[in-house]
Amino acid sequence: MSNEMKNMMVMICRIFLGFMFIYASLDKIANPEEFAKQIGYYKVLPFGIENILGIILPWTELIVGVCLIAGLLVDGAALLSIIMMLVFILAISQAMLRGIDITCGCFKVSADSDKLGLDTIIRDIIFFVMSMIVLNRQERKFEFLPKSD
Amino acid sequence: MLRVPLNQILVIIVLSLVVGFFVNIIRSDSIPLLAKEMSITEDLDEISGEPVAISLLQAKTLFDKGVVFVDARGEEYFADGHIQNSWNSGFFMELMFKLDSAQTKSGLVVLYCGEDECGSSEELADDLYNEGFSKLFVFKGGWQEWNEAGYPVE
Repeated sequence: MSNEMKNMMVMICRIFLGFMFIYASLDKIANPEEFAKQIGYYKVLPFGIENILGIILPWTELIVGVCLIAGLLVDGAALLSIIMMLVFILAISQAMLRGIDITCGCFKVSADSDKLGLDTIIRDIIFFVMSMIVLNRQERKFEFLPKSD
Repeated sequence: MLRVPLNQILVIIVLSLVVGFFVNIIRSDSIPLLAKEMSITEDLDEISGEPVAISLLQAKTLFDKGVVFVDARGEEYFADGHIQNSWNSGFFMELMFKLDSAQTKSGLVVLYCGEDECGSSEELADDLYNEGFSKLFVFKGGWQEWNEAGYPVE
């Protein structure tokens, strides 16, 4: 694959992931209580700390999304994206294995959002691979902090 | 070789912490730092408002009175066995209309799932509460505790 093609693929991944994270954060930022409850239903966190995660995580998603699109701290944003996807995949898998039949809380926190399923895991694996492509890029194009090569 | 940009990660996390906590302080619907457990009710007759948790004995009392039980587990678990006469939750909107037409939104409803550490019954109770249902009980022991107690199943 030519360098130009590789750069193009990295840009597509950056923009796609960026908009995806921004979209995913908006409903959670608007409804922190609902989102914190949604985290609680997964039954993985002790001592009620789902509220702390419910306060911080949507902002992390929003900042990561903006960074990927705007070309700011792209390495950090891509690695955080990888870490988030791994955590989401683990949380969803354990819930499914334990037969916890809940909605995902991935993009919307309302009752009619998607239920957990294999498709949710596959979707997150695709996002994981896209984040890896961004982190593992050879050339830095359209990046402003740190500056492109 | 993959990059490990720890300083950049730190910047993004600190920024998220600062903005997240600041916005939570200034917004009108801010949430406490730690979530509260669902309260356990003492008196089954004095319920009106947010969903409350009930014990096995309280669940049995409500069962004997003919209160509607809703199984919040997936269909395949429901098919394997469930509390006698309980309804499978299925699609949320469908359940909501079924409950509403059977006994209105102020009728008693008991929700349960697999065992103490499953979140499906709590989620369903919160969703029904948000739709105006006001007498919701979450039987936390769920299918496992009910079945082990030898109470009616099918």
